[in-house]
Amino acid sequence: MISFEHVTFRYTEQGPSVLRDLNLEIPAGELALLLGATGSGKTTFLRAINGLVPHFTGGHFTGSVSINGRSTQVNQPRELADLVGFVAQDPASGFVTDLVEDELAYSMECLGIDPPVMRRRVEEILDLLSLTELRNRPLHTLSGGQQQRVAIGSVLTAQPKVLVLDEPTSALDPGAAEEVLAALHRLVHDLGITVVLAEHRLERVMQYCDSILLLENGSIRSGSPSELMQTSSIAPPVIHLGRLAGWDPLPISIRDARRAAPPLRALLANHSPRIQAVPTHSPRIVEIKNVHCSYGKKTVLRGVDLELDAGEITALMGRNGAGKSTLLRTLVGLKDQSKGTIHVNGVDPHTLAAKDLLRHVGFVPQEPQDLFESLSVADECKSSDADAGCPPGTTRALLALMAPDVQDGTHPRDLSEGQQMLLALCLIVAARPPLLLLDEPTRGLDYPTKKKLGEVLRGLANAGHSVLMATHDVELVAELATRVVIMGDGEIVANGPTQSVITDSPMFAPQVSKVLAPDRWITVEQIAHALNQELA
Amino acid sequence: MRAIPLGRPSAIAIAVISVIGVLSFLWPFVAPADSFLVVNSSQTPLLFALIIPLLLVTVISQISDGGLDAKSIALLGALAAVIAVLRPLGAGLGGIEPIWVILILAGRALGPGFGFLLGSISLLASAMFTGGVGPWLPFQMLAAAWVGLGAGLLPKASGKRELIILSAYAAVACVAFGFIMNLWFWPFSLNLPEQIAFTPGAGAGENLLAWIRFSLTTSLGFDLPRAALTVILIALIGSPILQLLRRASRKAAFDEPTVFIETQHIS
Repeated sequence: MISFEHVTFRYTEQGPSVLRDLNLEIPAGELALLLGATGSGKTTFLRAINGLVPHFTGGHFTGSVSINGRSTQVNQPRELADLVGFVAQDPASGFVTDLVEDELAYSMECLGIDPPVMRRRVEEILDLLSLTELRNRPLHTLSGGQQQRVAIGSVLTAQPKVLVLDEPTSALDPGAAEEVLAALHRLVHDLGITVVLAEHRLERVMQYCDSILLLENGSIRSGSPSELMQTSSIAPPVIHLGRLAGWDPLPISIRDARRAAPPLRALLANHSPRIQAVPTHSPRIVEIKNVHCSYGKKTVLRGVDLELDAGEITALMGRNGAGKSTLLRTLVGLKDQSKGTIHVNGVDPHTLAAKDLLRHVGFVPQEPQDLFESLSVADECKSSDADAGCPPGTTRALLALMAPDVQDGTHPRDLSEGQQMLLALCLIVAARPPLLLLDEPTRGLDYPTKKKLGEVLRGLANAGHSVLMATHDVELVAELATRVVIMGDGEIVANGPTQSVITDSPMFAPQVSKVLAPDRWITVEQIAHALNQELA
Repeated sequence: MRAIPLGRPSAIAIAVISVIGVLSFLWPFVAPADSFLVVNSSQTPLLFALIIPLLLVTVISQISDGGLDAKSIALLGALAAVIAVLRPLGAGLGGIEPIWVILILAGRALGPGFGFLLGSISLLASAMFTGGVGPWLPFQMLAAAWVGLGAGLLPKASGKRELIILSAYAAVACVAFGFIMNLWFWPFSLNLPEQIAFTPGAGAGENLLAWIRFSLTTSLGFDLPRAALTVILIALIGSPILQLLRRASRKAAFDEPTVFIETQHIS
């Protein structure tokens, strides 16, 4: 269906080759998963499938890409629109209309399809993607997962044979991601569509895919998941576990891993997981008592009590709308509580002016760009020094420590997502706030970047900051958090050490814990440590 | 950085419309007293008001034929919308018009072809908001197109020097725009004192002086604030806006051609 022959591509004549002599064939009806680190050329590869590379981006293109026999060299992207559906990373940025139905019909209108046919196809797609109840809703009122399904639907109405998706679930919470993946799964099975998707969150998609394309240094290796995962440096925890335990064939899904697990269980029976040291007798940073909070008539927080100490990394979990973001907002003084008391570092954040507030509590929002105001990294750091009242160069020095490869002259928005997150973190940390709040810090980050961010956060906690992060990323929580707080419907429903809270709940359990339940192992690292002791 | 490449045919099209445009503004100085234009002077602005849009359409279609890609259209649309939204702010405020700084900076950062299109399209779009549709509109579109085109043709410079050149150009262009725009109605304005009125057949020199006197006494009060505001805005926000536009342009890689390299593979 999709064939690449000797494809080499450079964005500029002298620039480096992003794709290097690629040869590959993706057969019809396959769900292929594209893997690669940030900046490895995943988006370039995906865009080459429908000719956006090079027709839209410009650049030097060698070799040929053909889709169902049609070459991208002679066909413009618009001439491939009936064959290849392309869903970009941020679905909202691609919407043209305001309503779900209109958006679904838009691509067909562009292709000049008869109104009765359009009508019928819109109905089909509404059913196929379970969008029927949303048909008359304005697009901006939809959740992330719903928007993503509408974006997929809007390209499907043109009845393409190939669907290309750039990180469709990276920015979604687990439930919404599940919705989208289930929809894709159905498309592959019922309609026989060929799907190519790039994704960082392998733990979510690995079990659905038929083949893997591994993009490294501009070249691609392709193969079946269990074959490629033997050696891939990018892998979900279940694969790392399988490799550590020497399972053969390598299990890809949790279910397969569980069936291979009994020998490992026996081996681990005499060990208990090494738990991250929780600091004792450290100063109390946050004290919240019986906090209520509401937006209009809607009560969002109902009687929240919470205490956080210095040196802790606390994960705030729970489904969307459970009150996580509101709790963070009250802690940083953006939202007033209607009842109850909040003390951060001994003071109520609402009583402080912004200038003093940032020395008590720092907040890194979900979109780190929201903090950027300057045209270069250097200027950004300078204005941060001024805001925080610290000696010139403080922020830049922090950044050099956290992200050594960031250049002074770069525009902050031109940084990669991981670098943006680290820069935002530096801007906040410069004022040395004892309490550090993060909202979904790992959204859209790949494994190495997540690891780096984890190290940085652990360093900050060890230096005496108390870190509170709202997140859906259970693997991150398993590796990093010392404590987990789960919220439901405006109340705290669980609050305790990571080990016990997340292994108790199937919803928030990491892959390792799902494989080895009911034993309380949560990370591959713990198991590696125990096995080392076993061998020694 | 050229967001919209100007090939030879497009350049010729712009030259032709500019010549006809110049004539449509300057005919009072060159037409003999017994010419059609002067005799039927009440219809003359309408005549040009019909010819200019036709020519503008021709020029725009010619330029777009030479490669107006989706990215240029997006940028053109976004900036024209910004100008259209800013324009009502200046209505009735004695020439306080913030739109010129955007047009001049965009022409500078994105090239003469882009400046020409932006000038004409943004004035057309903003006329819809301000209700300013009338026989003057084609003249305004053409004059604004020249302002954008001129900004794109300024000599290479960077840093402070660039801002100084842009400020000087903005001052001249803003005043010139006012003077030129007087010409579309000045010949038909009745009841003007003799020193500032158009006199058919009086000769180019005399009419030129009358026009300049007319402009100095009437529109200069609008033209100078317009120029002053634009120069001040260029000094204040010129540098960051240029950087923003150039970043957008760099990201869109307008200068990067699409090249397919043929290779022979030995199989």
